[in-house]
Amino acid sequence: MPSVKVLDNQFLSNETYVLRTERPKSTIKAGQCFSLGTSDLGINREYSMYSGAEDPFVDFLIRKVPEGRVSNRLANLKSGDSIQISGPYGEFCLPEDEISSSSYLFIASGTGIAPFHSFALTYQDIDFKIIHGVRYDDERYGKNSYPEGKYEACISKPENGAIGARVTDYLNDNTLNPQSKVYLCGNRNMIIDAIEILRSKGFSGDSIFTETFF
Amino acid sequence: MKIAVSYPPIVNSLGQKAMVSQNRNVQYFKKPTYLLPVIHAQAASWLNEKGFDVLWDDGNAQLKSFDNWLADLIRERPDIVVFESTTPVMEFYWDLTKRIKLSLPETIIIMTGYHSMRRPDETLNESSTDIVLKSNHIDFILIRVVDFISKNADWRETLSVEGLQVRVNANQIRSTGSFIQVEPLDKSPVINRNLVRWKDYAFENGNFLRTPGTYATSVLRDCMFGKCTFCRYNGPDLTFSMMSVEKSLDEYENLINNHGVREIFDDSGVWYRGLEARQFAQGIIDRGLHKKGCYFGINTRFEYLDEETIKLMAEANFRFILLGFESADDETLQRLNKGYQMEHVEKCLTWMTKYGLHPHLTIMVGYYWQTKEQLDLTVQTIKDIMCRGLARTLQVTLCTPLDFTPYHLECIKENVLLANSYADHDMSKLIVKTPLPHDDYYKAVREMYAISYSPRFLFRQIRFLFNWRVRDWEFLFIYGVRALRRVRQHVFNLTRNEGNSTS
Repeated sequence: MPSVKVLDNQFLSNETYVLRTERPKSTIKAGQCFSLGTSDLGINREYSMYSGAEDPFVDFLIRKVPEGRVSNRLANLKSGDSIQISGPYGEFCLPEDEISSSSYLFIASGTGIAPFHSFALTYQDIDFKIIHGVRYDDERYGKNSYPEGKYEACISKPENGAIGARVTDYLNDNTLNPQSKVYLCGNRNMIIDAIEILRSKGFSGDSIFTETFF
Repeated sequence: MKIAVSYPPIVNSLGQKAMVSQNRNVQYFKKPTYLLPVIHAQAASWLNEKGFDVLWDDGNAQLKSFDNWLADLIRERPDIVVFESTTPVMEFYWDLTKRIKLSLPETIIIMTGYHSMRRPDETLNESSTDIVLKSNHIDFILIRVVDFISKNADWRETLSVEGLQVRVNANQIRSTGSFIQVEPLDKSPVINRNLVRWKDYAFENGNFLRTPGTYATSVLRDCMFGKCTFCRYNGPDLTFSMMSVEKSLDEYENLINNHGVREIFDDSGVWYRGLEARQFAQGIIDRGLHKKGCYFGINTRFEYLDEETIKLMAEANFRFILLGFESADDETLQRLNKGYQMEHVEKCLTWMTKYGLHPHLTIMVGYYWQTKEQLDLTVQTIKDIMCRGLARTLQVTLCTPLDFTPYHLECIKENVLLANSYADHDMSKLIVKTPLPHDDYYKAVREMYAISYSPRFLFRQIRFLFNWRVRDWEFLFIYGVRALRRVRQHVFNLTRNEGNSTS
């Protein structure tokens, strides 16, 4: 497996970190994923790229899964360590000839924000809105990376005793443009519930795209 | 309303029957293997549960001739017939739909399967099919379609269930859009074993060491990796859904305690990994199912299961582990998007063998880029793995582009496809231009199967006996005889075009 060096490893919350590695010698499209592992583990897992497609490095947004061998091992990597990386894979990408003429609704839960962060960094003029479902305030990963008004977090357990909100609440309570192309990434149950609402609001199945990893 | 879920017997000029095999591929065999079509079985079970009259009509597993099967189907006069298509049998199905319509003009024919879902208009234009399902979620979509048709005589104009291509009239076809891509798998029922006549599939299956064996209701629909270019479980129209561990455990308990099943195989593209895999194995142990004399088997990928998980699975009486080993060279693995590297293959197999599992490797040859060095490396690596006892059985296939997978589309784009018709995609011969004469790949197939006769391999099998595991004794004395019979058949099938070689 091609090995590259870890450049940085920063925790954004108690359990989620951004792992930055050298860029493998491949053509990379925003929205794709890589298999990551270490030589001692003997197993790997797929993670979507968090950085822009043209960045000179690759970032991954990773949550330490309880009992997750790979996510916990990668969390301990330090700058200069080797990491095994394979890919990129996948077609959860935006067709480049449609980007300038389309409007996009990106719906994520937790670290499922990664491909949308990558889209936003890669395509400067893209017309998009991100709806991000998280549990706590500090899980609004990369919230300052987006232009004003493009990012909306739905926090289910907010600080200061505020009333919690979920992605499904947002979708139910707000006017959505059924002409938008909708990309969903993250928790399977969130995706299933969100699609149900989108369908009831007139979105065609042809304009809904999903990436489910967990 | 009566719905027939039908699999007609298809016989080729050599008298071999078209059998659905690994990954729903169709191959012709003289001595057949009967695989339960799991998703269609779930669809049938769900329809039956909803009160529809369901006819489970597998002419192959029910040992019918084609003529008897057709006569029986016509006598049953179903309102709806559901077929499963794949590239090599498309032309057969197109003709068959026309024949059925002559006798049963009012019967609605629904075509499912990976070929027609990716080229729905082709099937509607070439056949008398009424509806093509553009989804692999046959159960979820069929339950809605049948319910709608049963209540609406004008369904051709008004059916709005997503994921269909519908024949409106002789001149008009309409689309109802894409299907919802992620479905909550727990909503689909586990298979009604009596309805689908599970015993028809319980004995003639080379993967079962103990019988009666059966296929579990798959815990994963499609594949959680879903990136391998040659595989059907890859495409923007597919994603993956997962059944809960508890629901699957309940089914295993029922199969063992109430049906006397002695080997259960889950044919999910890839089975659970990580926490779910450990929870499942622990659940088997907690329920005492590991002591009931039943083996368990799964498909997995290299680099998906760690040593601790494998150890726990072995304690839970898992035995048969099927792993796709598509090639031994990293370039091919990268071109196929396999997502694992050779350096971890040995580690994974060593763990499995250490704890008494029986890894089964599925190998492919004949990629349109495969050089002599790459082919030789694969053959040598497989010989080494098998003779060292790191895997117990193997299966070699000719890589055949079909069902418009990314590899199939790549072959079309690169202009390397040699097939004259869809029937040529039956995996009996290479149908791509290759750097080497095709005979070289057939020879490689022969060489890999010949490992099972080599003294080193046989000696290693005998050494396994001294682990004093029952399964190793069973393997040598029961499965060995059966495997040799199948090896002869596979070698015949995969090398019968030797000598008519092109490149």
